[in-house]
Amino acid sequence: MLASRLIPRYTVRPVVARSTLPKVVSAPALSQWSRAYSASSDEKDLVIIGGGVAGYVAAIKAGQEGLNVACIEKRGVLGGTCLNVGCIPSKSLLNNSHLYHQILHDTKNRGIEVGDVKLNLANLMKAKESSVSGLTKGIEFLFKKNGVEYIKGEGSFVNEHEIKVALNDGGETSVKGKNILIATGSEATPFPGLEIDEKRVITSTGALSLEKIPESMLVIGGGIIGLEMASVWSRLGTKVTVVEFLGQIGGPGMDTEVSKTIQKLLKKQGLEFKLNTKVLSGDASGEKVQLNVDSVKGGKEETLDAETVLVAIGRRPYTAGLGLENIGLETDERGRVIIDSEYRTKHPHIRSVGDVTFGPMLAHKAEEEAVAAIEHIKKGHGHVNYAAIPSVMYTHPEVAWVGQSEQDLKNQNIPYRVGTFPFSANSRAKTNLDTDGLVKMLADPETDRLLGVHIVGPNAGEMIAEGTLALEYGASSEDIARTCHAHPTLAEAFKEAAMATHGKAIHF
Amino acid sequence: MASLAAVCRATARLSSNPAVGARAFTSSSRCLAAQNFTMPALSPTMTEGNIAAWNVKEGDSFSAGDVLLEIETDKATMDVEAQEDGVMFKILSQGGAKGVQVGTRIAVVAEPGDDLSSLEVPAEEKASQPAESASKGGAAASQASSSGSSQPQSSAVKTSGGGSYEHKLPLLPSTGHLAAQKGLSQEDLSKIKPTGPNGRLLKGDVLAFLGTIDAETPAAISSRFEKLGHLDLSNIKVAAPPKKEEPAKKEAAAPAPKAPVVENLEINVPVSLSKVVEVQNKINDTLGVFLPLSTFISRAADVANADLPPASRQPTAEELFDQVLGLDKVKAARGTRGVYLPQISAITPSSFVSGPPSKKSDIIDILTAKPKKRASPPVIPTVPGLSSGANVFSLVVPKAEEERAQVFLERCKAILEEEPGRLVL
Repeated sequence: MLASRLIPRYTVRPVVARSTLPKVVSAPALSQWSRAYSASSDEKDLVIIGGGVAGYVAAIKAGQEGLNVACIEKRGVLGGTCLNVGCIPSKSLLNNSHLYHQILHDTKNRGIEVGDVKLNLANLMKAKESSVSGLTKGIEFLFKKNGVEYIKGEGSFVNEHEIKVALNDGGETSVKGKNILIATGSEATPFPGLEIDEKRVITSTGALSLEKIPESMLVIGGGIIGLEMASVWSRLGTKVTVVEFLGQIGGPGMDTEVSKTIQKLLKKQGLEFKLNTKVLSGDASGEKVQLNVDSVKGGKEETLDAETVLVAIGRRPYTAGLGLENIGLETDERGRVIIDSEYRTKHPHIRSVGDVTFGPMLAHKAEEEAVAAIEHIKKGHGHVNYAAIPSVMYTHPEVAWVGQSEQDLKNQNIPYRVGTFPFSANSRAKTNLDTDGLVKMLADPETDRLLGVHIVGPNAGEMIAEGTLALEYGASSEDIARTCHAHPTLAEAFKEAAMATHGKAIHF
Repeated sequence: MASLAAVCRATARLSSNPAVGARAFTSSSRCLAAQNFTMPALSPTMTEGNIAAWNVKEGDSFSAGDVLLEIETDKATMDVEAQEDGVMFKILSQGGAKGVQVGTRIAVVAEPGDDLSSLEVPAEEKASQPAESASKGGAAASQASSSGSSQPQSSAVKTSGGGSYEHKLPLLPSTGHLAAQKGLSQEDLSKIKPTGPNGRLLKGDVLAFLGTIDAETPAAISSRFEKLGHLDLSNIKVAAPPKKEEPAKKEAAAPAPKAPVVENLEINVPVSLSKVVEVQNKINDTLGVFLPLSTFISRAADVANADLPPASRQPTAEELFDQVLGLDKVKAARGTRGVYLPQISAITPSSFVSGPPSKKSDIIDILTAKPKKRASPPVIPTVPGLSSGANVFSLVVPKAEEERAQVFLERCKAILEEEPGRLVL
């Protein structure tokens, strides 16, 4: 609707203005007319390409700062990967599949006896959809509230200031911006040789909307996305095997000790792991999808098969169709838009934030950058503290961390002190009968300044906020230990780990 | 850090009446008018230093800010300034003295106006001062020397190499606790250079100040965090140009990358402008205003662009996912505004007012034609330009927009041939 309201401005005005055309006009002149259209449309303070987390946050923030802003999104709904096919729908499935799993396996010893438990996959998906649509609608409302013009279509650069938009509803328009923000995000990296059909060979997108529960699933890539999706379908009854190239699950950023702990716990839940294993080739032509795998060192070749294969080997920047070549913008070898420390490309009025550029591909990082980029435009200064960006994996138990990991510090020969506290010694975890996991803290041995926090355990994702705050303020472990934590809470484990870091924990 | 002046001084002299005030403030017997001036610790690790030169002579008066002496350490030479007014009573370690231990008495100073001839040189205080006496704040801290350890006490003289820092309050729990435990006064704390984010005083800073840990450690950690706090944009490897060339070419071939093969289609609709010319003349006659044909055409195009049926095309992956989410029902499928502008060429340039005699049947043909039939459009001899009689309105659109464009042209035709007057009245 917004889009249709905007177009008349581009069409009517120039046409009327040109009404002094001679009586007989040659055809070529007429065709130039339509080009004259867009050129005379008014210039925006800021045009944002991409309505994902980076783009929409930037749009709202810019609206709040009083900028005249337009946001181009081709998906047809706002929120990008995160809201539509990422963080949000996966959390819905994770939460509800966990509930189902718990009712099946973990009620008797709590004194609750349930009868026949049935899963209705269609309704499970419906619950997810209503969460997603509620949230994306919410953003559209926020756009209206903050005066953001929302253009549904695919934008591509004509020149440094002008973006042509192929509208989703057909037709084309064009917008000009004093500033332009590239926030086109990322897409799942495909596995060479396996064509994604989102039914049998799927990415995370397909894994969020399978129509039936597959009997077996192979997951290529044991990172956060792979493990979350593996958890969902494993809880619903799929036999899941995770194939990971590295020697640990959770990706290279996860603390090794934490990674080992969560691997043990997930294995107990029924997931199978093949670490240090590379996938040589895949074949989806048969009844089952087959993968040829080998040990990284070689010599242990074997063939695995499953009804479904989930490709979760990472994500890559998405700039297809953006016309970067029209304005001479370069990407690096991994396709990331090259920026400086103020998110400027080599054209200073064109900035880029989020997954499409450098840094970890995390929604909250994109959000921070979006705000910082707007502050740069409006106030000349903005900053994101990349040393304090948390990561969370929403398996059960959850894994969360912020700051440096033990192997990081070791590799860089940085001295550190470790303090840990297990949830099995925490009163709240005990009463919840949910005592797997630990809090691990790393601090400088001399100054006691916190260097990293790593948690595997119930609600780790919420608890990591405290660690992030501590890092942001340069706190020492003693600062955390001297801060009162309510009893009985899981957060007490956090405090006790801090006590263990510079002294001794009380309850362990 | 050179801010750690352990130089003694009667801080009680804050009162407006120094002599009386100072003595009234404290019960300490050490608060005599003559004060011992000891070797300051200019950094937490400094244990001894050389006196390069005195800038005052015995008997000289000095005021706050004056440089009293220069001290050499292994790292640097620093000026020691007086923090308040006074008189140099006795210099005990002359310029050139080497290896003077921190805390050793090097001079005796008196308050301004004191009668030097009647003053006694106080005994040197070697014994360490209980830290608590200093923690009561500036006014009460009156002892003249720092303890044998390098632990700093309240001071009257600050080194010019250092600075005074106002710390963000409240202090972090660990910092506040440590300061209280070690008896650091506000004044002491203000000498500690903070290394935390946004100039926050950290536990490590206080520990370094106290000499418990290496003085350089907090700053080193901070600079490490500073580095981690920024995106690593070094060593960016620009994608190889040939790799870039390829997608560039692809894009050039296909403006819409999702649909690599876009067949453009020309749609022609003959339109007679005779009615328009009629109206134009009528307006010219009655109002005396000449409206060019282009005005009619552009206004007709504007009206015809409203609410066109959406282009038929393959649903995108996003739309398919929307269907999965049920969002397609939310986004009601209805007409949208187009941005078409017809290209016009005259059919018969010479004949001015000629109706479209044989064209009539063609119009119906075209209006009802199926796409296949359109493959061989009726060949109408046209010339570029605009005739006031029969013209061909044509649009070149992607195949997917055929219906949309067709509706647009039909509307243009209907408007221009039937009621062109409404466009301007």
